[in-house]
Amino acid sequence: MSSIATGLKGRAELGVALLLGAVGVLVFLDANGLVTPYSQSDPVGPKTVPFIVSGLLIICAILLAINVLRGGKGEVEGGEDVDLAHPADWKTVLPLAGAFILNILLIDWAGWVISGTVLFWGSVLALGSRHYIRDGLISVALALLTFYGFYLGLGIALPAGLLEGIL
Amino acid sequence: MDVWSSLMDGFATALTPMNLLFAVIGVLLGTAVGVLPGLGPAMTVALLLPVTAALEPTSAFIMFAGIYYGGMFGGSTTSILLNTPGESSSVVTAIEGNKMAKAGRAAQALATAAIGSFIAGTIGTALLAVFAPLVVQFAVSLGAPSYFAIMILALLAVTAVLGSSRLRGFASLALGLAIGLVGIDSVTGQRRLTFGQPLLVDGLDIVVVAVAIFAVGEALWVAAHLRRTPLHVIPVGRPWMGKKDWARSWKPWLRGTAFGFPFGALPAGGAEIPTFLSYVTEKRLTKHPEEFGKGAIEGVAGPEAANNAAAAGTLTPMLALGLPTNATAAVMLAAFTSYGIQPGPQLFSSQGPLVWALIASLFIGNFLLLLINLPLAPVWAKLLQLPRPYLYAGILFFATLGAYSVNLQAFDLVILLVLGALGFMMRRFGLPVLPLILGVILGPRIEGQLRKTLQLSAGDPAGLFSEPVAIVVYIIVAIILVWPLIFKLIRPNRPAKTPLLPANSGAADYSD
Amino acid sequence: MTIVVGYVPTPEGEAALTQAIAEAKKSNDTLLVINSSKGDALVDNRYAQEPDIQSIEERLADQGIQHIIKQPVRGHDAAAEVLDAADDNDAALIVIGLRRRSPVGKLIMGSVSQRILLEADCPVLAVKAE
Repeated sequence: MSSIATGLKGRAELGVALLLGAVGVLVFLDANGLVTPYSQSDPVGPKTVPFIVSGLLIICAILLAINVLRGGKGEVEGGEDVDLAHPADWKTVLPLAGAFILNILLIDWAGWVISGTVLFWGSVLALGSRHYIRDGLISVALALLTFYGFYLGLGIALPAGLLEGIL
Repeated sequence: MDVWSSLMDGFATALTPMNLLFAVIGVLLGTAVGVLPGLGPAMTVALLLPVTAALEPTSAFIMFAGIYYGGMFGGSTTSILLNTPGESSSVVTAIEGNKMAKAGRAAQALATAAIGSFIAGTIGTALLAVFAPLVVQFAVSLGAPSYFAIMILALLAVTAVLGSSRLRGFASLALGLAIGLVGIDSVTGQRRLTFGQPLLVDGLDIVVVAVAIFAVGEALWVAAHLRRTPLHVIPVGRPWMGKKDWARSWKPWLRGTAFGFPFGALPAGGAEIPTFLSYVTEKRLTKHPEEFGKGAIEGVAGPEAANNAAAAGTLTPMLALGLPTNATAAVMLAAFTSYGIQPGPQLFSSQGPLVWALIASLFIGNFLLLLINLPLAPVWAKLLQLPRPYLYAGILFFATLGAYSVNLQAFDLVILLVLGALGFMMRRFGLPVLPLILGVILGPRIEGQLRKTLQLSAGDPAGLFSEPVAIVVYIIVAIILVWPLIFKLIRPNRPAKTPLLPANSGAADYSD
Repeated sequence: MTIVVGYVPTPEGEAALTQAIAEAKKSNDTLLVINSSKGDALVDNRYAQEPDIQSIEERLADQGIQHIIKQPVRGHDAAAEVLDAADDNDAALIVIGLRRRSPVGKLIMGSVSQRILLEADCPVLAVKAE
């Protein structure tokens, strides 16, 4: 790995420290805002543990920042299907996240059958499949199957949305 | 409480046609996800949690147990035929197993792995059946201070012992504890970290958190780093072993079991250390030292047995104390909670029939796994040719479906995405995910015990040390915390062996 | 001129390669060996691994044949990769190996060799495994 890449990597990890610190401060402020009179039956109160957690978060944030600035680096997680020789492939991940978000926006309005189809079809496409029609058919089939499966098998009525009355 | 009669009752429950069917589904699914890249038992159980909510708890847990053991069997198949162990516990198996396969002895490697897993799993489950009630007998006498101490030990042990960076482990733990805080405080009714969002008042659903971290985070992470050069599966026929292989395998199986079970049962044991110890032991004891590094059957038999015995061991603290020590156990514990079953020492008395049916189903599952893995290993290997787009799109699809179906709220999907992104980030920067999940699950329980303890002592911190068991546990905690100093003193003596241990082992347990 | 050969690590693929080497010797053309994978699965046994490629490399070098070995993984199927390579290099000949397939299998999977035979702009030499 080139030195530029490692340099960037080091800086990016400071973001993790920042996140930890931010969450720590947030937990602290939230707990601080709680108003509870001292009670004999609950001497610990609802604040103590949040304070400890926020302390732990902030300490970790500081130590992590120091560790990163000194050149420490988290070990990137490998796996069977993971090739760490390449940098993250955002061209796959972002469309994937897009399909996911589209599903969130659509699910209550258009219903699961439509939003689920969009989700699966979009994800398969984002992951590089080029069989548009075959994938489309599989997506519709999956969405319909899960819709009826959940309804008939589990008694869970997923939203029908636009297709209300048809399904 | 007679173990034998309880167990027989368990068998009677587990052998009903319906439950047997779920056991078969479980072992088939488990083997499949063990073989498939990117899927693991923890993720699968998490994905199934919402679907199984409609099932009888007993049936659901019988299925989960099948998935848990099946994942181990499937994982060994891929590490032998592919040399890409996705699971940290099969890293050691791959060392000799893949060499054997390359030398044309894949059938024997698979056979010794499957039979060894069966034997170790069976012995391990028997030990579980014997020891878990003993642990319970001991545990019911403990009070809140001891529980508090034991849970702290479990959290710290998993965080500090597993994984390559303790600092990052603690960061992950702290995030998990923070997530666990969200919602109404059960004692005072105060809203914590809800930011005025009514949807957050009930807290974050553990199902949503588990699915987000294990399924969404993992799918996004793998999608970002897909392996670009396709690999070869070493072709193999039906696994079998000759007389000589049996003679060389049976001792390593038993020794592996002896390593695996106790380590699995310890709060931070996991399967990595015993598989590694087993490998080193077999290498030292073998009559064929020249074969090690070139495909020695002992090097497959021992670690595989250790791996499966550890899996059984892990269930001991999970069932007896409600303490999960690996990712799959953590998700199974979450499943107990979502069924409204209180995990802990009361489990054996309050849910006796369920627990014993679960243990009986482990024996059955093990046997089924031997049946489906021994003749069918080549068929399972075919699963590796499944096109990835369908695989990972399927994970996202079912993750969404599952998380949504819990409360039928699109808001849960937003949380799913946010926590999925967190899971992605953690994998990217080497934060192990296991401490986070444990923090979410155990955090609220730890807080409860802490408050109970100090309530009893009227706010006096000395109450924390009021039980002898608590004091002993705190001493162990202290030892764990100073362990790196001791480790630094020992390390120079064995530098050559450390690289063999998997990196980031605490986090890798679920990823197949 | 160039001769394009579609190679897979199977008896058919070997037969095609052997034939292609003979052709290249005869005409003194450059041999372009294409071994592709769609790369959409973790495992693809039709994608040649490092040692395999090395031994082909040596074999071709020993015989003094000018050669290029390409292993494209771009999500295209094998037929498209071979046809692309033939087009780009103005190939004089394409050599492929034929695999026995049942009528049903052909119906479901289609046939790489059939597509090459139908769509190629140059002569195609199809060989069977011995």
